[in-house]
Amino acid sequence: MAAWARAVRGLLLDVSGVLYDSGGEGGGVPIAGSVEAVRRIKAAGLKLQFCTNETQATREKFVKKLQGMGFDISVAEVTAPAPAACRILKERSLRPHLLVHNDLLPEFAEIDKTNPNCVVIGDAAENFTYANLNEAFRVLIGMEKPVLISLGRGRYYKETDGLKLDVGAYMKALEYACDVQAEVVGKPAKMFFESALAEMGVPPQQAGCCGCPQRLFCPACGTSGLRQHVALRELLQGCNRAPELQSQKLCPWKQI
Amino acid sequence: MAALRALKAVLVDLSGTLHIEDSAVPGAQKALKRQPAVRGMESRCHFTAKDSRVFLLGCLKKILSDSFLPIHVIVLPEENHGLIFPGIITDDPNAVVVGLAPEHFHYEMMNRTFWLVLDEAPLIAIHKARYFKKKDGLALGPGPFVAGLEYTTDTKATVVGKPDKTFFLEALRGTDCTPEEAVMIGDDFRDDVGGAQNAGMRGILVRTGKYQPADEEKISLAPYLTCENFPEAVEHILEHLL
Repeated sequence: MAAWARAVRGLLLDVSGVLYDSGGEGGGVPIAGSVEAVRRIKAAGLKLQFCTNETQATREKFVKKLQGMGFDISVAEVTAPAPAACRILKERSLRPHLLVHNDLLPEFAEIDKTNPNCVVIGDAAENFTYANLNEAFRVLIGMEKPVLISLGRGRYYKETDGLKLDVGAYMKALEYACDVQAEVVGKPAKMFFESALAEMGVPPQQAGCCGCPQRLFCPACGTSGLRQHVALRELLQGCNRAPELQSQKLCPWKQI
Repeated sequence: MAALRALKAVLVDLSGTLHIEDSAVPGAQKALKRQPAVRGMESRCHFTAKDSRVFLLGCLKKILSDSFLPIHVIVLPEENHGLIFPGIITDDPNAVVVGLAPEHFHYEMMNRTFWLVLDEAPLIAIHKARYFKKKDGLALGPGPFVAGLEYTTDTKATVVGKPDKTFFLEALRGTDCTPEEAVMIGDDFRDDVGGAQNAGMRGILVRTGKYQPADEEKISLAPYLTCENFPEAVEHILEHLL
């Protein structure tokens, strides 16, 4: 293990694509070795915070699904965009028009949604119909200064039956249609990482971040003061695929 | 205005300028008959380039039933290599063409299109309009969906329609008219007016269709003129540009 890794007291862990692949019956399958890896991290005394851009279910449902796969995980250990968005909505007295997955709606139960003055978009999957996108578009174009809040801006993710477009594609569509810039709640927003660290109780200098090697993590770590990317599975299994990943220009591996 | 060259051709956008769905903009038929050498300028595509042309001509025929003006609709040249048109998936496609196809802009079709582009199929946009006017309000055009695909796949679509300069120049091909001798009338300040002016033409913005207040102030090169509607634009042309 690299020397710096010994200084790490806590890890932020991405979930989809790192711990499991979503989709299909039962909501997905764990990636080989990952259930055991989570157990080993905890046994080693490291703190863990699951930092996900998952917006297809409430945290409660999400945690239940992962527990069903055998993961040692609790709701308090999960940082997700929807609760963070709700805090912002309340702070700024925003009333959202929601374009989100049906299963995420309970997260917004307490929020006033009458006469909307902003649009909140999440990974709505099958709810991304032309009619629904058009409705969100009309709300935005009808505002003097359109406010678009996006729960993450991921490009795509893997489901058991293939890659699926993530919320980023549809966020871009609305940005382009209305000439606005969405406010991103979730990774890679710096604030999102900061709140995950605060919830974990570990300062950035002592935290590592493990993500599926997607571009979306690089600027985040660069700006949020997290030490390095850690490919957790490789780290724990002692097999280093760094050169291979580096050649794909995915992560700033040379920092490790 | 004295320095301006005499006008030889008028390019007219169709949807939002001459008609909204199957209704003519009031006065449009009459005004159209007063125009010399009108060319309809449209790049909507409903199913295939061919069908689009048929659809548009049918639409126009209905609106302009007593007009014999030479309406020339420019559409994508029909390519015979495998193309995917939203709605019609050919066997084993190796290119993606996106036109205005609201019924196909949904999660599943977007995913399928995404897979193709990720697999290095070229992404071709018939145009990138942000929105268009329907009777019940504004509606998303193909542009936003193309922008979403561009973002997720890190590619740039080839735009063959407005506001591409080539498309405007193509409209003048076969005429002895230079861009300086042409004017474009449309309801889209970026794609109609901005595009035409970028090609060296004059652009007239009409306040019908998708027009929103202060649109004329949103482009760096202001429109040559902003009019209430198509008939007013024609009035101006007849009085000042001929």
